[in-house]
Amino acid sequence: MTSTPTWRNAYDLAERAVAPHAESLVRSAEFAKVTAAVVGARRAVGRGLSGVSTMAWHLVNLPAQTDLQRLRGQIGALDRDVRRLSLQLEQSGRGRSEQQ
Amino acid sequence: MTSEQGPVGLAGLVRQKVERAGSRARNGLRMATGNARPAVGQTPKDVVWRHGRSELWRYRGDESLGPRPPLLLVFSLFSRSYILDLTPGNSFVERLLDAGFDVYLLDWGVPDERDAANRLEDYVDDYLPAAVERVREVSGGDRVNLVGYCFGSVLALLYAAHHRDAPLRSLTVMTTPIDLDHLGPFGNLTKHGGLNVDSLLDADGNVPPAVIYQGFKSLRPTAAVTQYVDLWQGLGNDQYVASYRALIGWATDHVPLPGGVARQLAEMVDDNAIVNDRLVIGGDRVHLSDITVPFLTVLADRDHIVPEASAAPLIDLVGSPDKHELRLDGGHVGLLVGRTAARTTIPTIIDFLLRRSEDPAAGRRTTPPPTSGTEL
Repeated sequence: MTSTPTWRNAYDLAERAVAPHAESLVRSAEFAKVTAAVVGARRAVGRGLSGVSTMAWHLVNLPAQTDLQRLRGQIGALDRDVRRLSLQLEQSGRGRSEQQ
Repeated sequence: MTSEQGPVGLAGLVRQKVERAGSRARNGLRMATGNARPAVGQTPKDVVWRHGRSELWRYRGDESLGPRPPLLLVFSLFSRSYILDLTPGNSFVERLLDAGFDVYLLDWGVPDERDAANRLEDYVDDYLPAAVERVREVSGGDRVNLVGYCFGSVLALLYAAHHRDAPLRSLTVMTTPIDLDHLGPFGNLTKHGGLNVDSLLDADGNVPPAVIYQGFKSLRPTAAVTQYVDLWQGLGNDQYVASYRALIGWATDHVPLPGGVARQLAEMVDDNAIVNDRLVIGGDRVHLSDITVPFLTVLADRDHIVPEASAAPLIDLVGSPDKHELRLDGGHVGLLVGRTAARTTIPTIIDFLLRRSEDPAAGRRTTPPPTSGTEL
């Protein structure tokens, strides 16, 4: 049976001292507010840049990435509706055959 | 005597040190180059149903045993299901097969833009009922043992509560987030931070895996360093390194979360909807008290993803007269993988399921109940 090396004991000691503080920090409402603000700011910058490039593509009468995204989203939603309908049809067909 | 053994003992020690250094160098090189990744999800299986990105797998068991009680595993929407069948010898699925179950797993696949609008109803009202029906058709069993893990447990609970006539023999859930006020950073971001879920979505309308990974990583800030310290300590042990790679590989291997589900979850967190009994699925109020099938909830005292305080209220919310709670000293994944799982969790779950599968209509019991674990 091998004993725990000294360096490992030292690390564990340090980790046990630091971890609770770090965990309570990331679980705090303040941390959530700061993270949300950072995510929001990054999103706003991204939207600004994307708005400029969208305008450029539209000037030459071409679809921008956001147009394609919207289209993909619409096709996705349609695909989902078809999937749900086919499953519901399958289920009701099974229900009818069980009744018979 | 000492003088005779001294040089031999010293030579042995030197040989041991050299071998260990060799193993460390070899394993270190493998880790650095990303070679020889351990093979995961190796138990042979067949796809018996498929819809959208989802697949229902049936694991190959010993057919000579005759009809076996069907058991359907429901996995989370956040990560990959191979944790249930990690490596040969360290596989929940393998143990269930050995116990004589006809094992199925509903794998949700990797969502793309076609799944961005998916809501919980898609899984609870469409996919799960269809998969349960398919399990009944394939197995010939009239009722199914349903087992959920992590967020898969929430889906299983919602299905059982919303479909009161569901053909279930039993319901087992592991590490289930119930009190969403105790979810930590995940819940806080929307509840206290006022974060709009839409700001997390990728171009395909889903929450990207990188965001999910960062979310899990933030739950234990020191873990990123500790995992390397653990690796450094165990680098000379081939078996340890293989398990480490399999587990770390899984922990960083997330799938996109459909945007529709993410929005719905944010609303559930804001309202703490499960504990407050304000769940709405498909326009219907859903009450966990409507679940009446034999029920087992398993939770871990040191779970950092679904803290004990989040999972604990479940037992009181479920209406089953035959209900049990199993609390274990372990972490989130430790319930399925490793020593605690092998010695306690898995034998106890198997025992619970076998005792409720003795009805011949569910298939005859094929093996004696395990002797270890807790009797429920």
